[in-house]
Amino acid sequence: MNVASELTKEPALSFARVMSSAPLIIFVVLLIYLAIAAPNLLEPSTISLILKQSVPTVIVCLGLATVVVAGGDDVVSGGIDLSIPATAVLCAGVIADQLTNHGSSLFFALALAIAAALAMGIVNALLVVFIGMTPLLATLASSVAAVGITKVITSSRRINIDHPFIIYIRDGDIGGVPSAVLVAAVFVLIFCIAVHRTRWGMQLQAVGGSREAAEVSGIKASRLVAQSFMLAAIAGALASVFVLARGSGSTPGSEENLLLEMVLATFLGAAFSPRRIVTVWGAVLGAVLVSVLSVGFKSIGVDVFWTGCIKGSLILIVVASAAYTGKAQS
Amino acid sequence: MEIRQLSVFKRRFAQWSLVCGLSAAVLLSGTAQAADLSLKGKKIGVAVVGTQHFWDREAFNGALDMVKELGGEPVPVDGGRDNQVHADNHDILLSNKVDAVISILGDGAVEPKFEALKGAGIPVFTVDHLSPHGVNNTTSDNYYMGTTIGRYMADAIGGKGKVAVFNAFEGALRICGIRTGLWKYVMQDYPGIEIIQPELAEEFANAPEDARKKTLDLLNQYPEGTLDAIHVGCWDQPAIGIVQALEEAGRTDVKVTALDGGPDTLEIMAEEGSPFVANVAQQPRLIGQTAAMNAARHFAGESLLPQTFVDVRPVNGPEEAKAVYEELGYGTL
Repeated sequence: MNVASELTKEPALSFARVMSSAPLIIFVVLLIYLAIAAPNLLEPSTISLILKQSVPTVIVCLGLATVVVAGGDDVVSGGIDLSIPATAVLCAGVIADQLTNHGSSLFFALALAIAAALAMGIVNALLVVFIGMTPLLATLASSVAAVGITKVITSSRRINIDHPFIIYIRDGDIGGVPSAVLVAAVFVLIFCIAVHRTRWGMQLQAVGGSREAAEVSGIKASRLVAQSFMLAAIAGALASVFVLARGSGSTPGSEENLLLEMVLATFLGAAFSPRRIVTVWGAVLGAVLVSVLSVGFKSIGVDVFWTGCIKGSLILIVVASAAYTGKAQS
Repeated sequence: MEIRQLSVFKRRFAQWSLVCGLSAAVLLSGTAQAADLSLKGKKIGVAVVGTQHFWDREAFNGALDMVKELGGEPVPVDGGRDNQVHADNHDILLSNKVDAVISILGDGAVEPKFEALKGAGIPVFTVDHLSPHGVNNTTSDNYYMGTTIGRYMADAIGGKGKVAVFNAFEGALRICGIRTGLWKYVMQDYPGIEIIQPELAEEFANAPEDARKKTLDLLNQYPEGTLDAIHVGCWDQPAIGIVQALEEAGRTDVKVTALDGGPDTLEIMAEEGSPFVANVAQQPRLIGQTAAMNAARHFAGESLLPQTFVDVRPVNGPEEAKAVYEELGYGTL
């Protein structure tokens, strides 16, 4: 009986190995193809453009990766926060409205945006930790609410912004490196250290690995999960500055593309980890690669709808791979 | 007497010959000039905000086809009806080192991109987006569109009544500022017309369905006899959803007016008893083609005016909708 089960287990594991590497293999093939078809992709100016365009996605990915680390990799019952892009767009709306329509100071506008983001984080934490809703549904609902609030604040209209700080984030550079990329790199470093190098981060990973085991060893799992949602909301607030800079203002509907890229990048990032788990640095790398794909496909003239179709298929492969790997491991 | 008549005839014949000859010469020189235009060896980026809607698609295809016809190599990029993606696409054209960019629509997010292109020595030819960084903007006569639709709408409701307006883009896009601003200017002369406040704002990406829902809410708020017209300030995709909502609610007494006049909305206007009563039809394909020709003129050393206006066709009622539909080559209704 044991021998039989071992025999059936072996092929399943090797198939799981192939499945877990599938996203990586597909991406490598796509990247090689793009590098050949669009030679300018590897030029310094294009690399700078790719990094610059990836910044909003990188920042929201920091939040999502933190929530997934705390809640576990299971894409249905594990940790996920779909509301981060909506939080980013909500905060962008708040900042744009305050700066342009009310003449508020930058400090006040940013403080109000952070307050709005924290409110979103508290709502998500309450829904998931205290009410016990599935994070997928809870954050989907809060995302819809955030989009609604944004429409109320902005009257569903675009708000232009010309504040020097936002313009500096958009156009400034230090030693030839775009300022947005440098600021984002600092945030990446902070999140990486917090989640992967501190005691708090280790506890977060322990909760995500096995909540029961973590609780038995005295870790307050609920508190950590709640904190992960708060951090994700703050990531949304940070991303809002880059969203505003990228668009020179707030535009209704910007959250849709950001959501697609965030999910793709974060779960793609798991493919780079030896244990195939979501990590902060993996998500960041994933976000940059998604940006490479976007710029690369456009450079070779692929129709935008095909790009959407390809990205959608990649999300499916990446998420299916994560789900199957999780199933095989369990 | 006969001799005198003959000499008058000869003189008139000579005059007509001269007029005809001159006209032919002007026409021929015009044709020769158009034939001389060339984009040979030029890589022309063509950026459009989206291709889901007839107008955008037609302007885009018109520009692409004309670039090819003039011997250029088009580099197309499509924003997928997302203004942010559309703006970012200009960065990709910049890194692709195109010789010129034709940019169709877009909001304020494209301005810094135009500035960067201009800074890199790449001329930008805009469509429906007046920019200080562009060489030339090809557009419809938005001034005429705004005032004409104002007059038509006022006439349709007898010069008085309550009007709701979908007006999401008056502050974001200059062309919409002109169209809606001049519509409001005309409304000033009709003190009996009240514009319902707050104004409605339609979504950019999913306009028909969004406008349908908002119209159903509006109809609940304004029961029968308290709402006379719904106007869409800058385009007519929301009008598709508005008409749908009016039909669902049995409120086709409320008149609908809008701007753009593509085949989809002209078909709705041509239906019997349609509440969609007035429009101003544009020629998006010709607009796109003209923008590409303007790029070629620029490379030929011609000095271009800041704006090139392309003719529009006012559409008042179902019969005119049918006539314009045929005239613009969409077929027969």
